[in-house]
Amino acid sequence: MSSALAENKNSAESAFFSLHKTFLEKVKPHAELLPLNRSALGRFETLRFPDRKHEMFTFVNTKDLVTSSFSLQTENPVQSEFVRQHVYAGCEQSHLTLVDGILRPDLSDATALGTSVKIESLVEAAKSESVRNSLKISIEQENDVFASINSSFMKQGIGLRVFRNKQVGVPLQILHVSTGSGNGSVMTVPRVFVHLEPLAELKLITKYVGVKGNYFINAVQDFTVEDDAALTYTQVQADPDDAWHFSKNRILLKRNSRFFGCQASNGTRLVRHHSEARLSAPGGELELNGVSVLVEDEQAHNFIRIHHEADHCTSSQHFKNIINDRGRASFDGTVIVDKGAQLTNSGQLIDNLMLSDDGRADCKPNLMIFADDVKCAHGATVGQLDVNQLFYLKTRGLSELVAKKLLTRSFAESIIQKIPFPQVVKELNNTLLKKLEADHG
Amino acid sequence: MLEIKDLYAGFDETEILKGISLSVKKGETHAIMGPNGSGKSTLAKILSGHPSYIVTSGEVLFEGENLLDLSTEERSLAGIFMGFQYPVEIPGVNNAEFLRMAYNARQVNEGKDEVDPLDFDDILQEKMDLLSMESKYKERSCNDGFSGGEKKKNEILQMAILRPLLSVLDETDSGLDIDALRVVADGVNRLKNKDNALILITHYQRLLDHIEPDFVHVLSKGTFVKSGGKDLAHDLEAQGYDWLTPTN
Ligand SMILES: Nc1ncnc2c1ncn2[C@@H]1O[C@H](COP(=O)(O)OP(=O)(O)OP(=O)(O)O)[C@@H](O)[C@H]1O
Ligand SMILES: [Mg+2]
Repeated sequence: MSSALAENKNSAESAFFSLHKTFLEKVKPHAELLPLNRSALGRFETLRFPDRKHEMFTFVNTKDLVTSSFSLQTENPVQSEFVRQHVYAGCEQSHLTLVDGILRPDLSDATALGTSVKIESLVEAAKSESVRNSLKISIEQENDVFASINSSFMKQGIGLRVFRNKQVGVPLQILHVSTGSGNGSVMTVPRVFVHLEPLAELKLITKYVGVKGNYFINAVQDFTVEDDAALTYTQVQADPDDAWHFSKNRILLKRNSRFFGCQASNGTRLVRHHSEARLSAPGGELELNGVSVLVEDEQAHNFIRIHHEADHCTSSQHFKNIINDRGRASFDGTVIVDKGAQLTNSGQLIDNLMLSDDGRADCKPNLMIFADDVKCAHGATVGQLDVNQLFYLKTRGLSELVAKKLLTRSFAESIIQKIPFPQVVKELNNTLLKKLEADHG
Repeated sequence: MLEIKDLYAGFDETEILKGISLSVKKGETHAIMGPNGSGKSTLAKILSGHPSYIVTSGEVLFEGENLLDLSTEERSLAGIFMGFQYPVEIPGVNNAEFLRMAYNARQVNEGKDEVDPLDFDDILQEKMDLLSMESKYKERSCNDGFSGGEKKKNEILQMAILRPLLSVLDETDSGLDIDALRVVADGVNRLKNKDNALILITHYQRLLDHIEPDFVHVLSKGTFVKSGGKDLAHDLEAQGYDWLTPTN
């Protein structure tokens, strides 16, 4: 690293430490969470901001982000109309709104969930020894510096617990609204802790939106899915272009539990999703799918680590990116199969559709297999629209524009259709895929 | 209707068609036969404007217009249809939806209203019945995972829906068993009338037993080496192509 860069990094880190001082003195952490905040800060000191050679950030340039100076969130007002337009049909009585990472009961309604789900603030949730412990362990073992930043500042946030053998019928939506700011960048650190007790089932939709841009949302979500429980999870990233969006999902699957995840990303100046999943007991099933549509200078990056620690588990991943203009996507995914994880079945597929010469897609799929009786497959493609498919459509009288649009949409739709919520699918058809229409010609 | 005059064409370096001339009038059915690699599909694709082919000289007139000046979609809208030898699979594009888009492109071109999915379904169902196609082919992605025979039926279905002036059917009979061949041939015959024309590319007499050609042309190494009436096809079936193209 050149000395100028090193200096940048050092000053970024000292800016961060002084921000944390402000947090301790002015924002006032909760006594219950303070030891965790301190432990996370210690972790930050060890991890430090990444340089260009950092193996977790091979494709992600964080320089602009870490050298920006951020203030902490202030409680900004949000129009209830803004919230209403981002609550999905069917979630009118099952949505929780977090504004700048803070739960807003006045903008939330969870009446449809009844007594199956306990919703509490993170501080309340952390009164439970098991929650505290699991937070403590994950903080101590954290390898992602941005997630440790979240933990260093975590104060607000929510804990969700679905009780044993409760299957929640209605989907629950968590809406993250970032207010953004007119004067200077703001960092917010939403934290959501989700715990499904044995045999519980939950359908969760998380959506990220912003009123104004120029913010850094640095979210962490912890999912614990106990024996025979099932979580269906959809994540929609729809922040404005000039926001930074980092999110880490930590997924712990116990015996015979299931996690079915779909993620749709609009891209911003920098989006980075980090998924870290552990299949810790036999019979676990994990599916992660994602789609992003990137135009102009938008970026979306995925960093995925899936750890098969037990036998008879399956994991599958399918990610697709559509990249136009100077858009950038990357996929850095590793599946680790431990020695004892026999009869693992794992698949990983990444497809990139490049619509311009200036876009970029990087792929680093990786398998580390220490067991001998496993079925693992992975593959990655980067391609343009198929000339013969285009020709075929045009011989039927479709114009170049219509034919391209049809093929581009169909590329994304195979992922979008996997999202089990029609209202989200419909929205993505109108937002994500609409982005492509202006850009062809 | 179609007038090909001394056409030379091919890929970047290789010339495949070497001086083709052909005149097709409305109401006529022409068969083009010839050995593998002789350039039959190349001719079909050039008529449709495939981007990989380059015309080096010659002229093609369609209804008096210079065909080579038109884009692929303009040729389609002008009334040219190509039934592909190898129909392209398009995963993710719903077959019925695609057919409706194609139908509506034509409607709009003719200054007519687009039809909505419900009305289109009636049109589609009628044509599918004609070809004894199961309705599951509406729901599936276009040609995706179709068997060879299903793909060929899907081509004729498109022809039935688009009602072209000139259809160039490239080996529509290959991949069809005899029952399916009969159904497809019946369908094509029903679409045939005195105002449209047909070019059938085939290797076998079999198809021509069902769809009777007015003319048969033999293509070899990029040129027509023989033309005649429907009996020529019988001779070819009996004797193969060798006698037409003495090796040199
Ligand atoms: N993409 C391509 N690039 C280069 N040469 C090609 C390509 N496709 C076909 N050819 C060549 O062009 C020539 C004519 O091929 P064409 O497909 O027109 O033959 P055909 O008469 O239709 O044969 P068949 O009876 O096997 O369908 C062949 O020599 C073939 O190898
Ligand atoms: Mg051919």
